This record gives sequence, structure tokens and C-alpha cells, in this order.
Amino acid sequence: MSDTVSKALLPAGLRDFLPPDAALEAHVVSGLMADFGAHGYERVKPPLIEFEENLLDGAGAATSKDTFRVMDPVSQRMMGLRADMTIQVARIATTRLAKAPRPLRLCYSGQVLRVKGTQLTPERQFTQAGLELIGSDSPAADAEVIALAAGALAALGVQGVSVDLNLPTLVPVLCDELELSPETQLRLRAALDQKDAAAVREMGDPVQDLFGELIRCSGEVDTVMERLGRLDLPQAAAQRRDRLKDVVALVRRLMPGLSLTVDAVENRGFEYHTGISFSIFAPGARGELARGGRYRAGTAKEKAVGCTVYVDTVMGVIAPPADRPRLLLPYGDRAQAAAWQSKGWITVAMLEDGIADPEAEARRQRCTHYVSNGQVRTVG
Amino acid sequence: MTTSPDPLVIALPKGRILKECMPLIRAAGIEPEAAFDDPDSRQLTFATNHPHIRIIRVRSFDVATFVAFGAAQLGVCGNDVLMEFEYPELYAPLDLGIGRCRLSVAELAQGADRGSLTHGDPSQWSHVRIATKYPEVTRQHFAARGVQAECVKLNGAMELAPTLGLCSRIVDLVSTGSTLKANGLVEVETIAEVSSRLIVNRAALKVRPAELNGWIDTFRTVVEKGAA
Repeated sequence: MSDTVSKALLPAGLRDFLPPDAALEAHVVSGLMADFGAHGYERVKPPLIEFEENLLDGAGAATSKDTFRVMDPVSQRMMGLRADMTIQVARIATTRLAKAPRPLRLCYSGQVLRVKGTQLTPERQFTQAGLELIGSDSPAADAEVIALAAGALAALGVQGVSVDLNLPTLVPVLCDELELSPETQLRLRAALDQKDAAAVREMGDPVQDLFGELIRCSGEVDTVMERLGRLDLPQAAAQRRDRLKDVVALVRRLMPGLSLTVDAVENRGFEYHTGISFSIFAPGARGELARGGRYRAGTAKEKAVGCTVYVDTVMGVIAPPADRPRLLLPYGDRAQAAAWQSKGWITVAMLEDGIADPEAEARRQRCTHYVSNGQVRTVG
Repeated sequence: MTTSPDPLVIALPKGRILKECMPLIRAAGIEPEAAFDDPDSRQLTFATNHPHIRIIRVRSFDVATFVAFGAAQLGVCGNDVLMEFEYPELYAPLDLGIGRCRLSVAELAQGADRGSLTHGDPSQWSHVRIATKYPEVTRQHFAARGVQAECVKLNGAMELAPTLGLCSRIVDLVSTGSTLKANGLVEVETIAEVSSRLIVNRAALKVRPAELNGWIDTFRTVVEKGAA
């Protein structure tokens, strides 16, 4: 193996972003941050590493198995490299900004790292961008976050944005109501996760009776809400359903054309969520573009709702912004760069005098145009 | 939107299961082009009577991978494969009731440790060496009872391994048990009952719910009619 190969090798799941990908990533992040910012979400920036016990406290416990640890030589305490930023923002909101008026609107973007990739997404470092709305339990808060995330993705040029609304707490509530044994719950959970209606039916009454219907509650929003409405649910579950109905109506009002689906038994990826949750999909994307929902922030367990956008997945389904034309400036013309740039050109200055064939040089430097005798000429 | 529907790719497993699977596919109203039944055809992807539906024929393990990555939206594969990969991006909403067999542990009928103190009592084992196509399932199965399984990954002819001293046991699919018997092995334990499932890509089901739920319902009707 040659030296260049071995020097280029990166650890599994890590990659260099080259042009134009690195610029596209920045474009996605700045688009999202501008959109969230315009709706009153203020940006925060937590550190990359913090003490393990804070990072993995409460809702953060779900990210424990994904977190890299290092020993802090200064404090001699264990530190974790963040695998998710929501936890950090929740910590900021409930500690340093505990006295800030509620509801508190924060947004963020940054890199997260996880110990192991999956076969589907082998990346171990990726970019998260998100927003958190802390201190409001109103259905309008859920609707705001959903509409804002879906709207921001559509504004970036994602085609066919589709939001899947979920109630990860519904199944546990119903299990408690039916007083199912832990073994039965595990079996039921496995069957529901596979959407295996036959396996649910085999479990007999009372499981089959209720969950047999519930497992069919996945798909286009109107059909599913109608099916859910007909179910005779115990009070605690009925409250959650009614809440979902309110949120659907509010999201509809904010984004009338948005494609909505509901999946009443979906549970994947909602490890720390405590209420209505959602995933955002788009045709052609591998997995979800964003995920969010209700959770309890910090040790104070403040009511919060938020959303995390997976920037790398978004990059896979949007067209990069059109390249601006690149103009090669003659040696010594550097002073005119600003004037050209204000007309929309990207300028590339020649660093040597006396280049005989400026057109060939422009082509070599990947310029679309060059300046010769004060005139813009197109590279043939 | 009534423009031409998005392409739909169905991944089917090669070999034994395919024969059992095709009557269901046809009963669901999907008819592949003639080359599909031509054993000499080198084609890997086949058009059907639906202009937007294509069928691909791949190995059983690869069906799950194609569907998990969204390269195919629907597929048919055994729950042995689903257990091995545990892809979170897959749903397996329907047991097709075909390709029935079981995933079992087998060992030599006249093994070296037959009659020894710990033979046949897995609770006394700390470590076993097992040849298998299913290292994940095997490891989990034995780990659940506190036994560390050292898996030797083989892709076929597992039954040879114990006889030639490569390992003491194997984990493999068993249907009639005749291959085991012919190689001097006995089935000692069933890990799971296996049958083929209809599998669906998660994101596809979310983005195209009406269409894909429609196909799931169609196949469910076909299977229930067959069972009745």
C-alpha cells in the first residue's frame, strides 16, 4: 500500500467533506437557522464535550450507548462527547436560562459523534440542526415546531415533505390499562414494531381486540384519525388521541398543503419522548430527514417540544444552489474584485504576471469567464 | 395526483422459496415477463404487467438489505434473515406462511463429549464453538443463557463442519432433518420457527401509505384465501 493511500484513510464512519458538499452543508444549516431565527428561536452553542453525568442524565440516558467517553485530565472526571444536542440545549434552558421567560425558543446546529454507525447509516459524525420550544404544554407549541421544521425543509427545496405523527406513549398506557405481564408486553411490542397483524391476533383477547385495530391505525391522516376515533379507548389513551386531533387541526391550519400521516404504534427512535412525536420523510431519502416531539427537559422535567434535523440526510435530497459564474481576473486587478463580486461574480485572481493564454489558465482554474482588456470573455 | 405512479420494486428470494412465492405474487395480480420463468435467462430485473412495477431476484439475505436501504420497496424473506439483521428500517407486516422450516442447533449424534458430565446440559457450558450462517442470532441465543458462542461463519454445507472437527455444533435451517441425519447430526434445540414474510421499507410506507398499505391488504387477502 502506498503512502498516500494510508495517509488518506480515515477511521470507519468519518469522512472529509469536499467542494461542493461542504458548501451544501453550510447552505442547509444557514437556511434552517435563518428560518428558525425568523420565528423567534435564538441560537445557542453548547460545547462538544461535557461531564458524562450531565450529558447522560434524564432524557440523555437513551444516548448512553452511543456516547464516546474520555477522561478529563484536569478534573479527573469522565466526559462524554455529545451524541445528541437536544439534551445539551435542554440543560442550558433549565439551568443557565432557568429564569428566562417561558416559553423559551432556542435553536442550534453542530456536530455530533456516536460510537457506532449502523449498516444503513455508517456515519459516526454528522451534523444536527434543531429547535427547542421549552416551557409550553400547548398543542399550538407542537404544531409550531412541526410546521416550522417541515416548512424550513420545503423552503430548502426538499420535494414531497411528509410528516408522520406518532404517539409513542399510547401503547405503554394501554398495556398498563390491560395489566399485561412484562413478557406479553415484550411480545406485543415486537409484533407492533414489525406491524405484524397476525402475531397480534395470535395473542388472543384482550390484546387482539384492542391492538388488532390499533395496528391498522397507520397511514394517511384522515383515514387513521377516523379509525382512531371509533376505538373505544380508556380515558388516559383517549386524552392522547384527542390531543393528536388538536395538533393535526393546528398543523393543517399552519400548512394547508402538507402531507400528513399518522402511525399510532410507531415506537422507533422515540426513546426519550413523552407525548406526540413525529418524523419527517421525503421520497428518495434514506430514513427520516428530521425527528422530534414532546419530552421533559432537564432535571426540572420542564415540558418541552423540539425537533432535530439530520442535515446529512437532507443534503441527499436537495439540489445544490446554482453555481455562480467564476471569473478569472488578470494579474494586478485584485482591487477591482469587489466591483465584480457586487455584480454576482465569484472572482479568482491571477497570482503571476505574463500568462500568455488567459483562456487556458481560466479553464485550468475551473473559471467560466475571464477578463481580457477590461472585457468579460466566456471560456470556450 | 393521478400522474403515472412512482416505480415500485419488489425483491424476491432466489431458489426454493421463489417457487412457493410466485403463486401468491400472481394471485395478487402481478405477472412477470416471460423471461422470469426461463431458467437460462441471465436477467436480474424483470418487468411485470404493471408498467411501474419491477421484480428483482436476489439471495434471501440480500432481499432484506435491498428493502432496508430503500432500493426495493417490497420484498419476501424469511424471519431468520430478519432476526439476523434486525434492520430498524423494515416492517414485516404479513406472514406469508410459505418456506416453513426452523432454525435449530444440531450436534454430532456420536459426539466426542457424549456421555461426559456437561454434555446436553447447556447451563454448565461457558463457551461453545458453532458453525453458522447466522452469527448474530446464535450469539444472542447463547448469550441469553450466559454462554459465549464463538461463531464460525460459513455460507453453506454447515453439516460438514462438526464431522471434520471444525466445531462441535451448528446452527442452521432444518426442514425435514434428512440432511442432518445423513451427516450424523441430531437436532438438539429449536431457536425459532421460520416462515417467509412480506417486508416493507419503512420510509416508503410513510411516504406512499395508501399504495403500500393497499399491497399489504391485497397479499393478506391472498394468504387468507389460501389458508381457508
